[in-house]
Amino acid sequence: MSSHREAPAISRDPVADNTDLYAFVSPDDPGTVTIISNYIPLEAPFGGPNFFEFGPDVRYRINIDNDGDGDANVIYEFAFETTVANADSFLYNSGPILSLESANWNRRQSYSITRISRGRSQVLAENLACPPCNIGPLSTPDYDMLASEAIHSLPGGRTVFAGQRRESFYVDLGSIFDLGNLRPFENLHATFGLPSLAAAPGVNGTDNFSVHSIALKVPKADLTRRGSTPTNASSPDSVVGIWASASRQTATVREPWSGSVHDAGEWMQVSRLGNPLFNEVLVGMGFKDL
Amino acid sequence: MSDSTRRAFVKNSAVAAAGMTVAGALVAEQADAKAVATSGPVVAYVRDPRTGEISVMAGERQVRLKDRKLAARLARAAR
Repeated sequence: MSSHREAPAISRDPVADNTDLYAFVSPDDPGTVTIISNYIPLEAPFGGPNFFEFGPDVRYRINIDNDGDGDANVIYEFAFETTVANADSFLYNSGPILSLESANWNRRQSYSITRISRGRSQVLAENLACPPCNIGPLSTPDYDMLASEAIHSLPGGRTVFAGQRRESFYVDLGSIFDLGNLRPFENLHATFGLPSLAAAPGVNGTDNFSVHSIALKVPKADLTRRGSTPTNASSPDSVVGIWASASRQTATVREPWSGSVHDAGEWMQVSRLGNPLFNEVLVGMGFKDL
Repeated sequence: MSDSTRRAFVKNSAVAAAGMTVAGALVAEQADAKAVATSGPVVAYVRDPRTGEISVMAGERQVRLKDRKLAARLARAAR
């Protein structure tokens, strides 16, 4: 399911904007479930020198409801930290990044993952490395290798990755938001008195854009209500509801005398993605931010 | 993390820029503020000085007070 820039407020806060959520039984490991939650819509690959990154002031969550009441029974929470090696350099990297330990990489991110269930928080891992952004053939000549290095095995048979990936959601955004003028049928579309248009092939509007993905593979027993590995698809124990979210703290203060920013207070959900396109197309413009 | 709604967040933050005051010294005078004792910044949000309702935030904690005198002092200090 997918919703990019679905409401005015979240479109002004892209690092917290859930764009896509995928959840499926892992084809390579049927005893596990893979959940992919994407954020930051429509990242242009050339968006430097300050390339895209997760918000260190955002808490990202993958939420699991395993008893059908709409409340999360299992939560995986991700918190990111940014490290700058050379504060005097404006560059993201000063040479090719050939490994995640590269001294040429000036600005990197790491993260922790915490599992919350039954009121108990368990830190599964800390200081996990993200890959750099995929910058180009000089800076990241072997991006697949860098991305592979950023796949981490966790206790309990879990696997996690967090970082930039190519957007895989196929959609002709340009024609959809041009009054629903889908290109293959635009010769049949109402033209509001304008000259008629010829039919044309669809265009993948998100092609060659990226997102930031949090990909998590966990054993089925990590998610189910009784911690079992269900085998009967029609059993209630086999059913889970999954949604992803992003939260920010209640208050943000920008100090005029120091230029620093302080966040304080409870974490408040500012983005959620569960049902496809709910807020994007079912909720009126005046109510989307509520 | 709170189960507070997005609606509440939007309502609260919409007026935060106008009503928020860094109030470490003043809040320290209040016994209730012991709950948020911290070495970092403390933020007090007075949504409506007439009701005396104050949200005091420090780190990830948030405490709601009702103190009309304190709310009035903060409001006067912001003028």
